[in-house]
Amino acid sequence: MTELKKFSVLVVDDEDEFRELTVKRLNKRGLDAIGAESGERALDILQQNSLIDVVLLDVKMPGIDGIETLRQIRQIRPLVETVLLTGHASVDSGIEGMKLGAFDYLMKPIELEPLLEKLADAYEKKRLHQEKIEQAQIKRFMAMPT
Amino acid sequence: MMRKKAYYSAITRRLVIAFFCLSVVPIVGFALVAKDQVEQTNIVKLQELANSTIEHRAEVISLFLKDRLSLLRLLVSLYPEDFLIQQERLEQLFLALAPQGDIVDLQVIDSSGLQFAYVGPYRTMIEGKRYDEASWFKETLISGVHVSDVFSGYRNVPHFVVAVTNPLKTLVLRATINSSIFNSLLHSAQLGPRGDAFIVNQAGAFQTPSLLGDTELNREERLLISFDSRQGSLVTDKYVYTSHWIDNNRWLLVIKANIEDSFGYYIQVRNRIIMLVVAISVLAMLGATLASVAISRNLQRSDKEYGALSMQFAQVEKMATVGRLAAGIAHEINNPLQMITNQAGWIGELLPEEDPASIKNLEEYQKAVEQIKYHVRRAGTITHRLLGYSRKMSTQQERVSINELVEEAVSFVEREASYNHIAINRRFNHDLPAVMTDGPQLQQVFLNLLNNAIDAVGQKGEITITTRIGTKGMLVIEFADSGPGIKPEALKQIFDPFFTTKQTGKGTGLGLYISYDIVQKLGGSIQAANGPKGGAVFIVEIPRSGFSENES
Repeated sequence: MTELKKFSVLVVDDEDEFRELTVKRLNKRGLDAIGAESGERALDILQQNSLIDVVLLDVKMPGIDGIETLRQIRQIRPLVETVLLTGHASVDSGIEGMKLGAFDYLMKPIELEPLLEKLADAYEKKRLHQEKIEQAQIKRFMAMPT
Repeated sequence: MMRKKAYYSAITRRLVIAFFCLSVVPIVGFALVAKDQVEQTNIVKLQELANSTIEHRAEVISLFLKDRLSLLRLLVSLYPEDFLIQQERLEQLFLALAPQGDIVDLQVIDSSGLQFAYVGPYRTMIEGKRYDEASWFKETLISGVHVSDVFSGYRNVPHFVVAVTNPLKTLVLRATINSSIFNSLLHSAQLGPRGDAFIVNQAGAFQTPSLLGDTELNREERLLISFDSRQGSLVTDKYVYTSHWIDNNRWLLVIKANIEDSFGYYIQVRNRIIMLVVAISVLAMLGATLASVAISRNLQRSDKEYGALSMQFAQVEKMATVGRLAAGIAHEINNPLQMITNQAGWIGELLPEEDPASIKNLEEYQKAVEQIKYHVRRAGTITHRLLGYSRKMSTQQERVSINELVEEAVSFVEREASYNHIAINRRFNHDLPAVMTDGPQLQQVFLNLLNNAIDAVGQKGEITITTRIGTKGMLVIEFADSGPGIKPEALKQIFDPFFTTKQTGKGTGLGLYISYDIVQKLGGSIQAANGPKGGAVFIVEIPRSGFSENES
């Protein structure tokens, strides 16, 4: 088991069994994981909760699908990194997701270890990005005339 | 096969008939029209000839009549009445006229119908006759002139009678005129050996003998008499008639020409036309046959091509359908596989937390969990390949050398091949142009084919790889092996997914399916066949550049 930094993950999947078990297992690994059963619900949660770092997003869902959800996530939480998960090896939707700014996409079935690695990479990217922004803000703040 | 043969020969037959009709019917039609035209022209010409002849003859005959009448008129106006009634004077006059030879007799009659004098051969026949009741006598007195019909005299010479009165109408001078001159005139007016020329009176009685020996008029000839005009003409199937009235419609001159007599030139023309038509028909028939056979052959060839194309289309269609089906199934299977691996992983994570004392077979459980995960991975590999290749990501384009790609693929399997005593022969065309295509994917195809070849040969044998330039800008790569070859029933499904002839567990049946898919995406084709000396041959064709349009 790899040592993980603690970060928070939102698992979006319409299959309850998969979602709940994945949340359970991520939490057991020490992550902060919560689930959302649809794109709409995921967007609600992201609106209210600014502490989510990474979203694990199923592509094929009833209602608004993963790609559309991703598009809206980019609008409301541009810093949040998204990893797409699909049982459908539609590489096209994967590529489309990448174009929309997804961190990466994975294909089911995937075991927890590689999934965790991917999530950690995504978090790392988000963290670096956030740091840069904070530093820039500090710079600007320091440069401001008092 | 027999039915097909019959079908094509029926087409050929129909085409020949159609061509023949199209070419010969107009010609024959033209020939008929031409024949008709020539006939018509001929008839018109014949009519013209008959018309000019009759004009001329009628003029001569009229002139002759007029001459005789004016001679008699001259006599009755020149000599006084008491001179003419003397027998010896009349004889003197007759002698003076005799050299003419056509005046047979002269007779002088007074207005009461009594004869005064007569010179001529009929003296005994007319002795003491009275004419006051005779219609010709009355007519002469009233209108001053009379011309009779022709009759045969007792010497069987045709005659007619002309009578005039003196200006005071106190006497009548009558002359019998020999009309045999008419016969000779009409003889020379005969147009053709079967032509006729004669004079009839208003009642239709022959005034001159018919040259053909006719004794009475036929229906057409009677029609001519009823024409009011001075000149009538009629055309029947056999004859051209022209007629001309003479002497105030007293006599009708008729010329009858047989149309066939005038056909000498026409027959030449007709024969030429017939020969031409026959020649053209033969040529047309020849042309039609050749063209039809050519068309039929073309049709046969294009039907064959169409059949081959149809089969190709059917194959493409089948592969697309199978691909969609496989993708759908794979997709549906991925979700449960995810659950299995998830749950197994969960068990694996929870097991260490249990009291080891209460679990006898902890290790076994852990091993089972790993096995479950391993088999899910296996299944996942299959579904990923299926999905990956049924929805191939966009291909990369780069300049690649086919020979190098093959060489590289061979290097992967060479060790295994030599281990099994399989020789790999390379027959490369070293002038192959570089290709714009997706190298790695194409290499995957070559690798699949090589692996299959090695499996097929088994132990001791050879694999021959040939590269060459094909038609239509294609490059051809052939993989031939010395294995057992492909069974005919397997040929049909060899590219289907999950179709395998290998032992269970050895092959997934996806290699060729994926190869087929890749080659299609690269705009090429792949075919399986059996070589002439046995063994399987796989032929890959790749375009020098370009990809199929639908990159999805």
